[in-house]
Amino acid sequence: MKCDKARELMSAAVDGELTNRENQAFTLHLQECPACTAEFEEAKKTKQIIQEKIVRFKAPQSLVNSIMELSLSGTKEPSDSPMID
Amino acid sequence: MSRPDPIRKSSPDTKKNPLSTEEQLKLREFQDEAIVHINALYNYALHLTLNPHDANDLVQETYLKAYKFFGSFEKGTNCKAWLFKILKNNYINRYRKNAREPGKVDYDLIKDFYHTIKDTRRDSTETETDYFHSLLHEEVYMAMQSLPEEFREVIQLCDIEGFTYEEIANMVESPIGTVRSRLYRGRKLLRVQLEEYAKKFGFNTEKDR
Repeated sequence: MKCDKARELMSAAVDGELTNRENQAFTLHLQECPACTAEFEEAKKTKQIIQEKIVRFKAPQSLVNSIMELSLSGTKEPSDSPMID
Repeated sequence: MSRPDPIRKSSPDTKKNPLSTEEQLKLREFQDEAIVHINALYNYALHLTLNPHDANDLVQETYLKAYKFFGSFEKGTNCKAWLFKILKNNYINRYRKNAREPGKVDYDLIKDFYHTIKDTRRDSTETETDYFHSLLHEEVYMAMQSLPEEFREVIQLCDIEGFTYEEIANMVESPIGTVRSRLYRGRKLLRVQLEEYAKKFGFNTEKDR
């Protein structure tokens, strides 16, 4: 395997998306190529940074409640809706 | 002349129309399959719109549409991916027209965004990751925002939401090979940005663990 092919597979290697054959060839290439090994380590680290540092926001409870309401009234109009004008 | 009993409006049982068995089943399935992903959908909507109000609208619209078309959802496939695709389409139709130009980053907006809603954030578990450890959430977020949308999108879907390449390819309507190369190039660009931040704050980026 050449470096350009290894770079092509790099992200899939980081994400565990390589086939067994690709993985074998990729690993073999890393053993003989320090440049690609370094790049692979950097790419893994970048993924880790994103996973750790990007904040995940939770849906506000008011939104959760309104979605439940929406799905409940989704099939039929409410029969008695004193709150609706 | 017989008359039905008057329905007491205050009775909880009559507050909503009774649903047929079929509708009850659909509702139950929808709650189990779709509503459980509300946090992920809201998070994605918020990162797309940078505005809690728009994110709310986007998620509501998505669920309305999803419920309407729930019959066409293929059971056994990834419901979260299906919902994300609906949300993305809604976003493109409604919000993207007014969105910022590609590559243009409004740092003040991002900063405000973070400061306004950071109280609601979920704690993340942080492990030791050498000099990057010193980077702030905001900085990583800004670096993400500085990426062209096509790169940012796949990174978000892969690294934050944990979708497979196949699911991402389907969502962004591109071949898997394109997803691979966008992730590769996107992460590379991001790394350059992060190193810039690290250098700016005096960390030696050559030092590795």
